Amino acid sequence: MRTLFVALSALLLLACGAPTTDNADQPGEVNVYTHRHYDADKELYAHFTEATGIRVNIIQAGDDELLARLEQEGPRSPCDVFITADAGRLGLAKARGLLQAIESPALKANIPAHLRDAEDHWFGLTMRARLLAYNKDKVDPNSLRTYQDLTLPEWKGRVLVRSAENVYNQSLMASMIAHDGPAIAEAWAKGLVANMARTPKGGDTDQLLAIGEGIGDVALVNSYYVGKLLSSDEPEKQKAKALLGVCFPVNGAHGTHVNVSGAGVARHAPNKVAAVALLEFLSGDDAQRVFAEANKEYPVKPGIPPSGTLAAWGAFVPDTLDLALLAKFNAEATKRMDAAGWR
Amino acid sequence: MMAMGGKHRPFAGSWLFATVTVASVLLALPILVVITSPLHSAAPEWDHVVRALLPEHLKGSLLLLFGTLLPALVFAVPSAWLVARTNFPGRSFFRWALVLPLALPTYISAFTYAALLGPTGSVSTRIHALVGVKLDIMNMPGLCLVMAAVLFPYIYLPARAAFVAGMSGQLDAARTLGVGPWMRFRRVALPLARPAIAAGALLVAMETLNDFGAVKYFGERSLTTAIFRSWGGLYDLGSALRIGLVLLGIVALLLWSERRSRGNAAHTTDQVPLQRQRLRGLRSLLATLWCALVLLLGAGIPIAKILLDVFGGSITWSWTEVLPAFGNTLLVAALAAALTLLVAVLFTFRERYGARAPWSLHLANLGYAIPGAVIAVSSMALAGVVDRSMVLPFALIGSTGLLVYALTVRFLAVGNQPLRAALGQQTRALDDAARLLGASPLRAFVHINLPLLRPALLAAALLVAIDVIKELPLTLILRPFNFHTLSTRTYELASIEQLREASLPALFIVLCGLLPVLLLDRMADGRA
Repeated sequence: MRTLFVALSALLLLACGAPTTDNADQPGEVNVYTHRHYDADKELYAHFTEATGIRVNIIQAGDDELLARLEQEGPRSPCDVFITADAGRLGLAKARGLLQAIESPALKANIPAHLRDAEDHWFGLTMRARLLAYNKDKVDPNSLRTYQDLTLPEWKGRVLVRSAENVYNQSLMASMIAHDGPAIAEAWAKGLVANMARTPKGGDTDQLLAIGEGIGDVALVNSYYVGKLLSSDEPEKQKAKALLGVCFPVNGAHGTHVNVSGAGVARHAPNKVAAVALLEFLSGDDAQRVFAEANKEYPVKPGIPPSGTLAAWGAFVPDTLDLALLAKFNAEATKRMDAAGWR
Repeated sequence: MMAMGGKHRPFAGSWLFATVTVASVLLALPILVVITSPLHSAAPEWDHVVRALLPEHLKGSLLLLFGTLLPALVFAVPSAWLVARTNFPGRSFFRWALVLPLALPTYISAFTYAALLGPTGSVSTRIHALVGVKLDIMNMPGLCLVMAAVLFPYIYLPARAAFVAGMSGQLDAARTLGVGPWMRFRRVALPLARPAIAAGALLVAMETLNDFGAVKYFGERSLTTAIFRSWGGLYDLGSALRIGLVLLGIVALLLWSERRSRGNAAHTTDQVPLQRQRLRGLRSLLATLWCALVLLLGAGIPIAKILLDVFGGSITWSWTEVLPAFGNTLLVAALAAALTLLVAVLFTFRERYGARAPWSLHLANLGYAIPGAVIAVSSMALAGVVDRSMVLPFALIGSTGLLVYALTVRFLAVGNQPLRAALGQQTRALDDAARLLGASPLRAFVHINLPLLRPALLAAALLVAIDVIKELPLTLILRPFNFHTLSTRTYELASIEQLREASLPALFIVLCGLLPVLLLDRMADGRA
């Protein structure tokens, strides 16, 4: 018993003191907290290390959990760069004082103003559009020009969308609140719920597959998943793949809702120089091409084309709403979706 | 009692008891953070949560809880009885194979079932094409069934152990009195095994309540999904913690009723060797079929689907990725299991030889019911206070130590439950004899109780190890830089809907869990 106790205590002490952050203040390292789990990102970090000699250390986890960790770590945080796939969370990080302003002409040149924070706390790196995938045999895309069209009686029992818990549904709703006010947005959500083909379940890919099975005719989804499905060779996905058409609805007088994956430099970043270098690298030509090709996201840098799969859907007009408003209205959006009965 | 042992080692008991109290307070702290959240965390959206979320999500949790418990008992108890007390073709295979579902994380099983029997599942679509019937398992009954099929071994194991040991005499007596097999099971065996079954059912209940992945994917509502909706959607961690408090209330109620149901059940040791009844004809066929069905649902179908995905398609995978993840998984599992077991042993000692156990001891056992992410946040809140004060030369957040600590908080009940159940079966006459001979409580415990607990000790350690191997949200956020485990890798792929790619690390989780599962099977019935 006693020896076991001593051995265990020693082991635990060792585990506690294990050097996890001791390299943080050396040059040549940058510590990243990211919510993105893509292999494309890993590939990019490897390229960055190759090009600069700076090693990239990563923790991948949920964005809310990462924000909680950043907050609790305070000035002692080893985090240099915070990356997430939702402008709302970037705005939240800024509001909680977890990011710092970065002066970088390269970032300003690479990223259009509406895709980055006005005070330079965070920068969009890739874009996703909330678009519509439809059954080509049954749907005329001309009848789906706006998000509001989805609430028309002709779509009753035909609309597929995932749970209101999904952040891109929340941010679409937040953008509607920002444009039209909460009452109109809630009425839209109610209309959408009334037209749903089924109670929301599964992920975005499941909504697309459901079109293939005739469960619904139109799905409100993220462009990234449509791109992934259309370039998939898995046999179960071929039926949906053959049936799917894509169109870009607009929000009334505004464009198609977009959200960004973006990054900011942590307030207490021990390796600020390396952090800025990483952000500049990720917004540069090479990285933007990888995001576009390998990960089917829309590049933010003007002049870099999207992947062939996405380009085939045609160009679209993104909503240029200040993305900071997504953070501001996210809670209101969630409440209104709850009120509308969007599960 | 303490006075009796005081002759030889007057302070041994109190010194150890104090250690136990300190340990239990340390482990209860993250749960206290949740309980006291209304005092320290603002919850700006609480009114909305109470109005719009709580009623439906509470209903969902209760439906899920009882909807899962019932089929889990149906899967576990009859098969445990058949395997323990009867003989039929395949018995020795089913004996250990029925533990296999434990190696599968519920969310992975849920994903595989949805891929087969969901609205767009490969089996559903084929059946639809053949007979025109649309199958859909992605609803509340389906979810309950999937959960029960994976979680029933938590009941099967203790039930089987109880049926094997401690009731041969009573069953023989019943038989000589002319009681038929069905009545022997119902009137003699079942009441005697009830404490063990209840202890297992409690673990299933807690596992069901804290599940997030499967519930979310199936589009169902529970208190746990409400926690994440408040936190992620409403940006309101305070409300999320209060929902956690509601969850804790339910579990406290369950714990209390389990304790009451255990009551003062008398326990005996077998004087009569175990005799299995040989089943014949239709009965033996039904026994085989029943066990096969349960095994198929819990492990056969999901594992077959995973294997199909791994070997049926072209998945790129590098050994440089899987090996460190494999190693990390084993390391964390071993550390957490060792610490949990140590604490659990101390706790059971305290409960056996002490007077009233301190409140912190009961509190520390509630961690299993709280979603891992919530334990992670409350542990970080505590560690953050220490870190920001700069009293330690290293930061706690991001250390393996904090990860192991939080895992122990989360899984203490898993280690503690089997020990308490097993110790409850040891007659107090043993303790009294040792004490009368002048042994201190510690000496009596170490030399008399503990050796008898050995099978339960191993079972507890292995259960914790399996749970840690499957654990996800806590490991995800508390891990150090560049630290991957098999479940974090599976999650990364599953969260971007690359389910086919996720099948490979998932397969390794199953393989990783297999060893403890098989060991566990050997230990569960002692050396029987």
